[in-house]
Amino acid sequence: MPLLQARAVSVSRPGEAGRLQRVLRETTVHVDAGEVLAVVGPSGGGKSTLLRLFNRLLEADTGEILLDGVNIRTIDPPLLRARIPLVSQKPFLFSGTVRDNLQASARLRRSVLPDLNDPERQELLELCQLNPAWLDRDARKLSIGQQQRICLARALLGPCQALLLDEPTSALDRPTADLLAQTFRELASRKNLAMIVVTHDLRLAEYCADRLALLLNGSVVEEGPAARVLSHPATAEARQFLSLAPVENGETTA
Amino acid sequence: MNTTIIDLSLWDLITVYSLLLMSIGLAHLLKAGQSKDLFWSGLRMFVQLLVVGYVLHLVFALETALPVLLILTVMIGFAVQTIGSRVQVKMPHFYRIVGTAILFGCGGMTFFFCTLVIGLEPWYDPRYLIPLAGMVIGNSMTGASLAVERLAAEFRECREEIETALCLGSSVSLAAEPAVSSAFRAALIPSINAMAAMGLVFLPGMMTGQILSGTEPLIAVKYQIAIMCVITGSVSLTTFLILRLGYRSYFTPHQSLRED
Repeated sequence: MPLLQARAVSVSRPGEAGRLQRVLRETTVHVDAGEVLAVVGPSGGGKSTLLRLFNRLLEADTGEILLDGVNIRTIDPPLLRARIPLVSQKPFLFSGTVRDNLQASARLRRSVLPDLNDPERQELLELCQLNPAWLDRDARKLSIGQQQRICLARALLGPCQALLLDEPTSALDRPTADLLAQTFRELASRKNLAMIVVTHDLRLAEYCADRLALLLNGSVVEEGPAARVLSHPATAEARQFLSLAPVENGETTA
Repeated sequence: MNTTIIDLSLWDLITVYSLLLMSIGLAHLLKAGQSKDLFWSGLRMFVQLLVVGYVLHLVFALETALPVLLILTVMIGFAVQTIGSRVQVKMPHFYRIVGTAILFGCGGMTFFFCTLVIGLEPWYDPRYLIPLAGMVIGNSMTGASLAVERLAAEFRECREEIETALCLGSSVSLAAEPAVSSAFRAALIPSINAMAAMGLVFLPGMMTGQILSGTEPLIAVKYQIAIMCVITGSVSLTTFLILRLGYRSYFTPHQSLRED
């Protein structure tokens, strides 16, 4: 059974002139533990909406989302979100030091603050390529790339089973984005995490994803091993999108 | 000491209104564009206070509770309306929340003071209850306006921070805490400043009024201290209730931020 799956979820949102617009149409995707799924598609195609359904920032009109076979509607949202944290496009750090930020998840859950010196946490920080010498620095004064790594580590320091990443590299330059993509890959396999990365950046998808789902106008038009879909798309829609989509980061904005 | 009150004749009033004419002239001179506002506000003040004067005169003479309660209800209604006019984007159930908070905050504090402290007899004695409630409601209205304005601004400007907290597994109350405490601080600033500056920068209105009408200054001072405590208590309780009842309305039942 997949760790996390969306089964035929549909969402309508008020669009222009207040008319309801269908953002997702019976969309079905799944991701296993230790696997990275990239959900790729153009801006406004419903990617972020889909991602936000998994931690109940949004609710689907129909369909269901299962974590370990359990409908997430039966899980208390704060608990669910600690188990499936979401890292957004623009890193947001609370004011304070890097350490304060890394301990924020525990503080916000009124749980015991993690000891960042214990070997397991040290390993995690290392995987996220966070320099221990930064711990007492003002978090908001670090570079955007470093800030995004703090957000990543902060999310993973909780009781995390799966990770949601919303355009995680769109604020970064190419080399930084590539390095971060490798980090995602390693984290998924080393920590046995299920990861869903939403992006319009095909290179990020290529670098980190095991499987790829192409979402156009709220429907998954093609899904399969990332390398295969990117090199030999089976459907006409996928071929058309892939021929137009930017491979370089930062050319289009989500 | 002379304790007889110097009444103002109609002629005296006309004389002071000439000062308002001077203000209108000065505003006109500087092209401040306020001449009309000054004129109409001056006129409104005259009519409104005259009506209030007659109403109070009547209520004092009636010596029953009903008209007093009616006046208090009108005051609360106006206060809620005024707070509503100050914020463009209102939280859901705005009027219900603010109305309840003012009723319990101001009502509770005024009742506490009138019955437990000064032991008003009868409990509705309009000569005490109406001006005291007026001051309590007026000040709480100012505090509550500042609080709801600030709360709305915080939820608008700090969406990212609140959503980040939610995404890390925070409860809505903890995620909203910075916004709620900032709103509470904003509401209490006027009371804190007023207490700190009292007697040094200005002589407060009620105390001045009592002294002018012949009350012994030390009694007036004690009343002023008491009323400031009641006002501060009421501002904090009213604001606290509004914030506690109100912050949840920015979240959905499944504990995420409302989109709008």
